[in-house]
Amino acid sequence: MNENEPFIGIDLGTTNSVVATVIDGVPRVIASRTGQTLTPSVVAVARNGKRLVGHMAKRQSITNAENTAYAAKRLIGRRWGSPEVEDARKVLPYELVPGPEGNDIRVMLGGRAFSIPEVSALVLAELKADAEAFFGRRVTKAVVTVPAYFNDGQRKATKDAGRIAGLDVVRIINEPTSAALAYGFGKQMEKKVVVFDLGGGTFDVSILDVGKSVYDVIAVGGDTYLGGEDFDRRVIDWLVFSFAQEHQAIDLRQDKMALQRLRDAAERAKIELSEGRQASIHLPFLASAVEGKAALHLDRQLSREKLEDLTQDLVDRTIAVADRTLRDAGVRTSQIGEVLLVGGMTRMPRVQQAVKNYFGREPSRGVHPEEVVALGAAIQAHALLHPQKGKEILLLDVTPQNLGIMVVGGYFATIIPRNTTVPTSQSHMFSTVQDDQTAVRIAVLQGASDKAMENELLGEFVLEGIRPARRGEVEIEVTFDISADGIVGVSARDSATGTRQSITVTATSGLTETEMRRILEENLDEMLTRRQVGDFERLRDRTQAVIAEIESLSPAVKEALSRSRFGKDAVQRAEEVVGRARTAIAAQDLQQMIAVEEQLDRALQLFKGLAGGTVPGEKGS
Amino acid sequence: MSAGHDPGEGGVQADRYRGFLFNPADLSEDVDIDPGRRREILYIFASMDGWTHWQVLGIPWNASVEQARDAYREKAKLFHPDRYPGQRLGSFRGRLERIFRRLTEARDILGDEDARAAYARRTAPPEEVARAAARQIENDDRARERRARMARNNPIASRVARVRELVDRGRQAMKEERFADAARDLLTASAMDPSATEARTLAEQARRKAAAGKARDLWEKARAAELQHDLDRAQMLAEAAAEAEPGEPRYGVYVARVALERGALATARLRAEAVVRSAPSLATAHEVLGEVLAIQGDHSGARRALERALELDEGLTGARERLRKLRWSFLR
Repeated sequence: MNENEPFIGIDLGTTNSVVATVIDGVPRVIASRTGQTLTPSVVAVARNGKRLVGHMAKRQSITNAENTAYAAKRLIGRRWGSPEVEDARKVLPYELVPGPEGNDIRVMLGGRAFSIPEVSALVLAELKADAEAFFGRRVTKAVVTVPAYFNDGQRKATKDAGRIAGLDVVRIINEPTSAALAYGFGKQMEKKVVVFDLGGGTFDVSILDVGKSVYDVIAVGGDTYLGGEDFDRRVIDWLVFSFAQEHQAIDLRQDKMALQRLRDAAERAKIELSEGRQASIHLPFLASAVEGKAALHLDRQLSREKLEDLTQDLVDRTIAVADRTLRDAGVRTSQIGEVLLVGGMTRMPRVQQAVKNYFGREPSRGVHPEEVVALGAAIQAHALLHPQKGKEILLLDVTPQNLGIMVVGGYFATIIPRNTTVPTSQSHMFSTVQDDQTAVRIAVLQGASDKAMENELLGEFVLEGIRPARRGEVEIEVTFDISADGIVGVSARDSATGTRQSITVTATSGLTETEMRRILEENLDEMLTRRQVGDFERLRDRTQAVIAEIESLSPAVKEALSRSRFGKDAVQRAEEVVGRARTAIAAQDLQQMIAVEEQLDRALQLFKGLAGGTVPGEKGS
Repeated sequence: MSAGHDPGEGGVQADRYRGFLFNPADLSEDVDIDPGRRREILYIFASMDGWTHWQVLGIPWNASVEQARDAYREKAKLFHPDRYPGQRLGSFRGRLERIFRRLTEARDILGDEDARAAYARRTAPPEEVARAAARQIENDDRARERRARMARNNPIASRVARVRELVDRGRQAMKEERFADAARDLLTASAMDPSATEARTLAEQARRKAAAGKARDLWEKARAAELQHDLDRAQMLAEAAAEAEPGEPRYGVYVARVALERGALATARLRAEAVVRSAPSLATAHEVLGEVLAIQGDHSGARRALERALELDEGLTGARERLRKLRWSFLR
């Protein structure tokens, strides 16, 4: 491994993403090529077919709502037909369709179906490009963060996104853990820390036991469908209903552009109310009125009290989750030495108040709630790739949900309980129930319910080619393991013969291997064309500069040659070369430009020499 | 305690792994781990399945949850695969992962108050078991004492205990025929707890027996006085006896007889009449009444009384003699 190979930590957020690195032992955020530290997690396909990411995509989202994907994180790793997806379909302006296997979700953008990992990959690639611009060289190694409460499918899909973006994701780490890492960086901490992470789309609580540079997570809890987006939706609904009351039941949600404007206005008002007590929402010409009457405007005042009123239950839910997590950990609020607030939503005064009331202490400030997660990811990447003697840190994370299998009667049998430190593994014996049975099907699930159906199906594993024997005689030991990334693996062996048993994985919510390969190939093509475009542009600029120089030297050269009998043809040849170069630029013909480049250079050298007074063939005369 | 927890270096190392055979192939594998750490990993990997959780974390038996968590963090720093980034680990990667899992397993038990306490009990060394047993006995004694003290201080508990104590003592006294003591205790008990019917019936029996005993005592003293011709004293004692056991008419008869002897005829007659009324089937009562009446000169009355006495008891020779004298007045 190259000692100086650059690495990055990425906080792939629901609404915004951040990229960071560690330079000379100091973690720092990498600003985008346009100078911003937050990159909106928005991807769009413009009318001319161009893919837009980040600020560019967000800026055009109102006029191109149906081809602009945002909040993809809420869909990543989810199953088509799940309640969360059905819910999202109702409110998202872009179209969702099922994937070819019917398990996962595709987003329709500009007439093409994108898998969710592809959408996220576009955001990751943008951040990667920002980092490459910053370092001036290729960047591949990255640590990417996910909500602690993400399940196996969501983690795998995030890792896939990294792969599509051309990143080697060395580790997936949990956002709250990452935040704690950044907070504890350079400090000597010996205490229990609670991270309260309310972001754009997800809510996480983690309790860590920190000491001797070891970040030992005791318990995690959360809700992967609770965040700033939900707060915004309360405001949108309030605006929509009051508008409908005022104007003969006009449903603004039918109009995608209006909905997008409402969304922006609601988010802005919510952010304003973290500082002020009153926000005005003014949206002129929001809807065209019926029967040729004048267009309708929306003009309303939202007070902080009203916002708190609209979202009280959401805040209560976060506290309930925190309470349950503390009880899981067997920790009392009095034992907590530090409470960290992470995520943009924790800027809301009502959230801060609720946290303060529950924990009975002032939450820690001094961390930038939007940047701290990316910084932690960079620190972990640094620790994993370039360990520093004497500054070692170690992250010990846990699995957020029970991992188990479906057993007779549709019940769920836990094999690895939640809050188990990863990496971990557990074996389970399966025996045949019929004579000469050759295959066993195992449904692997993750969740908290006793009933299998109420948990998330990670996949179905089929043990095949079992040796024929009387029922119950063959015992197969299946080992479930969870990696440090929180990703589940399954292996099996015949406990009597010790031979490995083959396993086939079906019905996962992720991309299949063939699809993954196809996407990677497509990406490669895309990258090649993009690189060619880049090369062309660079060459064109250079060629134009050379032409300009030749032309500026041209009078002096002509002047010099007029006093000589040599070199008249040289000027003519140079003019020919310049003409060919001009044609190549106009035709955007890269090959032709490369061919003419050398001649152009030679002509320039010649001109420089002539203009400087040395005429060829007259040396020494 | 296993040698694996000795943090010693250099010369001590030889002792740490005494009796442990390293596979030369493992020691010479081409990996980026220094030989000392390599031996440590091999030794722990081979031994850890037989170790207690205490041994795995390298802490003494019954160490606290905080000690366990601290030790875990220290060990995790040494054996977590993340601590060997970018290094070639070969077959040692699997061993490191297994060791880390074993450490975590130990931490999960010893880092939790309840699980730790249960495990500590299960894995207690013999001398600790003996000490705990001794402590247990001591504790039991103390608990009993405390209960007694509480019973004394608690008004309700003490009343119940006191009633039971009195009944027990009363029963014991009755067995020993100390009826007066028994009666006193049992009456006190039934007064303290009116709902205790057993105490009440026993108290009644004891009281009666106690009265009988007292009366008999007095009667015997009266007899002694009579024999010494101290008839006044005898009279007094006899009346006390009759009063002590009013249900026994014979004392009444005796009182009448002593009064007669003293010549207190009015008293003797009143007494005799009272006894006849209360115990009409008692022959001696009629006999004494007959004698009193005879002396007072009521011959017909005396005759009726004496005839009645003889009817009830033919063996009353005194009465027969007196009656004969009355029938044959010339014999007087």
